[in-house]
Amino acid sequence: MRSNNWGFFLREAVKNLRLNLLMSVTAITTTAVCVMILGAALLVSAHLQGIIRNVGQDVTITAFFPENASQETIDDTLSSVQGYPEVSESTYVSREEALDRWKETFSDQPDIASSVGSDVLPASIELQLNDPRDSGAVAEKLRSEGFEEGDLNYPQQTIDNLNWFTGYMVWALRVATILFLIASILLISNAIRLSIFARRKEIEVMKLVGASDTFVRTPFVLEGLVQGLIGATLAAVVVVWANSAFVNWAQSYLFSVSSESINAFGLMLTLIAVGVLIGVAGSYFSVRRFLKV
Amino acid sequence: MIYFNNVTKVYDNDAVALEDVNLGIEAGEFVFLVGASGSGKSTMMRLILKELEPSRGNISVNGVKLGAIPRRYVPKHRRNLGCVFQDYKLLPNKTAAENVAYAMEVTGQKRRAVRTKVPQILDLVGLKDKLNAFPGQLSGGEQQRVSIARAFVSQPPILIADEPTGNLDPETSVGIMQLLHRINHIGTTVLVATHDREMVDVMRKRVVALEAGRVVRDKVRGGYANEV
Ligand SMILES: Nc1ncnc2c1ncn2[C@@H]1O[C@H](COP(=O)(O)OP(=O)(O)O)[C@@H](O)[C@H]1O
Ligand SMILES: [Mg+2]
Repeated sequence: MRSNNWGFFLREAVKNLRLNLLMSVTAITTTAVCVMILGAALLVSAHLQGIIRNVGQDVTITAFFPENASQETIDDTLSSVQGYPEVSESTYVSREEALDRWKETFSDQPDIASSVGSDVLPASIELQLNDPRDSGAVAEKLRSEGFEEGDLNYPQQTIDNLNWFTGYMVWALRVATILFLIASILLISNAIRLSIFARRKEIEVMKLVGASDTFVRTPFVLEGLVQGLIGATLAAVVVVWANSAFVNWAQSYLFSVSSESINAFGLMLTLIAVGVLIGVAGSYFSVRRFLKV
Repeated sequence: MIYFNNVTKVYDNDAVALEDVNLGIEAGEFVFLVGASGSGKSTMMRLILKELEPSRGNISVNGVKLGAIPRRYVPKHRRNLGCVFQDYKLLPNKTAAENVAYAMEVTGQKRRAVRTKVPQILDLVGLKDKLNAFPGQLSGGEQQRVSIARAFVSQPPILIADEPTGNLDPETSVGIMQLLHRINHIGTTVLVATHDREMVDVMRKRVVALEAGRVVRDKVRGGYANEV
C-alpha cells in the first residue's frame, strides 16, 4: 500500500461518515452505551475492592461499654487492655466526650446534632493496633473481658460482612460485563454491517474497476475506528465524570469510598481502546462478507 | 488477446449459460457479441473479468490463463480491463470526476497525475462541463460517458462493454458507439455485447453470434442477423 493513499482513505472515511450520518449516529450511540455499561461495571468493582482495602488497613478497634457498667469495671478493663502487646495506644471516650464528638460531626446539621442526649451514646474505649491483622486476636481478648460481639467494632467484622456481599457482587459484575461485551460486539457490528450492507453495490463496483480488498476495506475500517473513538470517548467522559460525582457524594456521607480506588486516566484509556477495537473489528469483519466479488 | 477454449459455464441452479465456446479475439479488434437475451453474453463478460469461474475449459486474457490467477491478483487483472455496463455502475456518492479518479486511485497513481488526467478524459468524452455533477444529476447517456471515461482513463489494452446502449435512446447510442469506436482506433481491443440490431448492421465490424450459449456465427464485417 502506497503511503500517498492514506490521505485518500482518510478523506473517503470522513466523507462516508458524513453521507451515512444516520448509520454513523446509530453505531456511535451503540458503542457509547455499551462502553458506558462496561465502564460502570469496572467502577463498581474497583470501588468495592477499594472499600475492602481501606477497611482492612483500619487499625482501630472500638469497644462500647454496656450502659450499666460501673466506673470500677471501666477502670479495670482500661488497665488490663493497656497491657495488650498488640495495642499501641488506647483512648477512653466518656459519654460526654462521645456527645461532643457527635455534635461536632453534625455541626452543619443542627437537627441531627441536637437529636441525642448524653444518655444515648455509650462510653467506649478506642484501641490503636500496631498491625491491622491482629484485630481478630484483640477482639477475641476483649470478648473474654466480658464485651459482647455486638459491643465491638473492628475491621474484620466489616470485612467479613463486605466479603460476603462483594463475593457475589464481583461475580455478578464479571458475568454481566462479559455478557455486555458480547452483546455490544454483536450490536455494534450489526450497526456497522447495516451501514455496509447499504453500500454493498458500491463495494461490488469498486472491485470491478480493480480495487484490491485492502483498498476497499481501509476507508470502512477507518470509519469504524472513528465511530468507535467518538462513541467510546463520549462514554469514557461520562463514566469518569459520574465516578468523581459519586466519590464526592459518597465522601460527603462519610462512606469509606476513595477516589484513589480508580485511576481515572487509565480507565478512560481502557474504555476508549475497547471502543476503538470494537469499531475496527466490527467493520473489518462486516466488509469482508461483501468483498467476495 | 482474449481466448475462450472449450468453455462451458453451468450456474449453480443447473442453468447452462455457455456450452463449449471457442473464440479468439486478437489485439486491436472491435468485436460485437450479439444474441437474444439469455443467450450468454453477460456470462462471457463476467468470465473475462474473473467475476465467475468456467465450469469447464479455460480462458486467457492478455496472455494470462485466468484459472492460474490467485484471488489476490484478480484486482491487478481487472486493471487491464476497462469495463462498461448497461446500468453504468457509477458510485452514487461521487461526482463524475471522482468516479473517474477512483479507477486511477485503485492503482495507486499520484494525486497530481489524477488531477490532470481526469478533466482531460472527461473532456474527451464530451463532459467537460459536468465534472462536479453527481450521477443522479446526469442523463443516461452522460452517465454512460462517465463510465466509459472511467473504463478508459488508465488506458487498458482491452475494453469490454456489456450492452452499453441498452438503456439509451438511438441517438444517444450512436454517440456512445462512436466513442467506443474511437477508443478502438487508438489501439484498444474492444468487445461489445449488444442486441442493438441497427447499430451492428451500420458499423460492419466482426460479429460473434450466441444462441443458447453456443457460438452460432462468427463473421468479419458482419451484420446482426444471418445474411445471405
Ligand atoms: N447468476 C446466475 N445464476 C443462475 N443463472 C444465471 C445467472 N446469470 C445468468 N443466468 C442464466 O444464464 C443464462 C445466460 O444469461 P446471461 O449471460 O445473462 O445472458 P445475456 O447477457 O445474453 O442476456 C440465462 O439462461 C440466465 O438465466
Ligand atoms: Mg446480459
